[in-house]
Amino acid sequence: MNAQVEHETKTTRRRPGFIAFSFLLAVTLIAASWIYILFVEEASLFALFSEKNLEHTREFLFSMMGIGVEEPAFFSKESWMNALRLTYETLVMSILAIGFSVIGMVLTVIPASANYADGTLMLAKKWYSRLVYGVIRILYVFSRAVPELIWAMLIIFIFKPGILPGAVALALHNFGILGKLCAEVIEDLDMRPIRSLASSGAGKTQILIYGIIPMVMPKFITYILYRWEVIIRTTIVVGFVGAGGLGQQFKLSMSWFHYTEVTLLLISYFILVVLSDFISEMLRKAVQ
Amino acid sequence: MQKFVDLHKRNLLSGLLILVFVWSLFSVNWGPDLFHSGGKHTILQMVKSFFQPDLSPEILQLAVTSAWRTLAYAVTGMTLAILLAVVLGVLASGILYNGKQRIWVKSSLRGLLGFMRAIHELVWAWLFVAAVGLSPFAAIFAIAIPYGGILGRIFADMLNDVKPEPIQALQSNGASRLQLLCYGYFPLAAADMISYTMYRFECAIRSSAIMSFVGLGGLGYQIHLSLDDLKYHEVWTFIFFLIGLVILVDLWSRFLRKRLVS
Repeated sequence: MNAQVEHETKTTRRRPGFIAFSFLLAVTLIAASWIYILFVEEASLFALFSEKNLEHTREFLFSMMGIGVEEPAFFSKESWMNALRLTYETLVMSILAIGFSVIGMVLTVIPASANYADGTLMLAKKWYSRLVYGVIRILYVFSRAVPELIWAMLIIFIFKPGILPGAVALALHNFGILGKLCAEVIEDLDMRPIRSLASSGAGKTQILIYGIIPMVMPKFITYILYRWEVIIRTTIVVGFVGAGGLGQQFKLSMSWFHYTEVTLLLISYFILVVLSDFISEMLRKAVQ
Repeated sequence: MQKFVDLHKRNLLSGLLILVFVWSLFSVNWGPDLFHSGGKHTILQMVKSFFQPDLSPEILQLAVTSAWRTLAYAVTGMTLAILLAVVLGVLASGILYNGKQRIWVKSSLRGLLGFMRAIHELVWAWLFVAAVGLSPFAAIFAIAIPYGGILGRIFADMLNDVKPEPIQALQSNGASRLQLLCYGYFPLAAADMISYTMYRFECAIRSSAIMSFVGLGGLGYQIHLSLDDLKYHEVWTFIFFLIGLVILVDLWSRFLRKRLVS
């Protein structure tokens, strides 16, 4: 009892300390960063609003809206068909990407959860499970710390341009995120049904099929759909380095100064994002 | 019976999702054409240089300054995003006003927040660079807009999910709406808001790193340059710095979250 009280006062004493430290660190970081941007890099907000810049910005916005442009792309049926084809390609890329990352996640997620590694999940422990746990967790951290675009830049050296390299790059990044999220789901599982299965003589596979999978399924699907939404948004970015879809065309149109085409592509992209958000929300409600 | 139907709905849905994935596999032209002719060799080289990153002093110094720049863009972008999110989030939660215009204001602001976050930060960055030229502010605004959208929506949800009892207690003591916000809603939602902001800060570092793609400096820019020169040893050095930065922020936010939630 005494020890518990002591422990509590200790934690309450330590708590404000770390929060105060974080607050100070945050303030220092914010101040240092702004000073760096404003005085070392000498970025001036006023220079942004110079006469020349305003003129340039207006020109850019007008040409995006197709004012003074002959045959703006959003009035031509051909451009629309092209944009729709690219949107479809982008959609396929996102599905491939989430599929690959789910396959990777499913193969690794059970040994990557702490309660499997220490033997409480399957009620069995092997000498190497700690090691496997560590290796997979490092893989997760590594794959999710590198942004999709950088994965895509590396992968484009190996694959020829197309939707596959984009999908692989997106999958690599999301593999780490999904793995971490889903391993946490397994770690938070209610152990009682599993113990009762084991005590009625269920084997390992039976525990997996009748105990673990039904319990984690809804959460897994929720996370997968949520990541799919994020992937849809990011497909355009991996396209910039030649991974196909809307992004690739966006880059080409930008560098040819075909700004009305850019507008058209952005409209298609926006519609795709809104549509996928809607579908994913509907499916998530169906699961719960 | 209801449970039985639910179970089947779930299995049906999983089956459907798997089918969609299998169908998407058919749209790829599987074959030897998929790889560059030197692809295999490149993989080997990349893997080899992974174990021997370039650790010469010049590269390390460059990596440190680029990492700092990446961090600075992320921090400044997040500062603006938080300001945007607090203002728009409070307005979009609809706690400051009631009556007829409430629903109208709420839904239009939520639409605005949705629009801000629907477009990826790199697309925003590109549009800014095209409109105002290369300036750190292009990166900062490009981070501030989508992150302001995400944070704003989540803040609005968190303010709406605050327990009603303390708010009613304040209300019955005659607190004005602004007082309710300062002494009721904010203190109650602060822990959640801060931990979500920290999580997003980690994402902002990654976003800031890829801003270099449109020509703005930072770790991503160096990775890009080294890749163009096929110097994989340097590429990995910069990637390791990026990973280190992300892990540091992740650890910080994890400790802070633990302290705030408990």
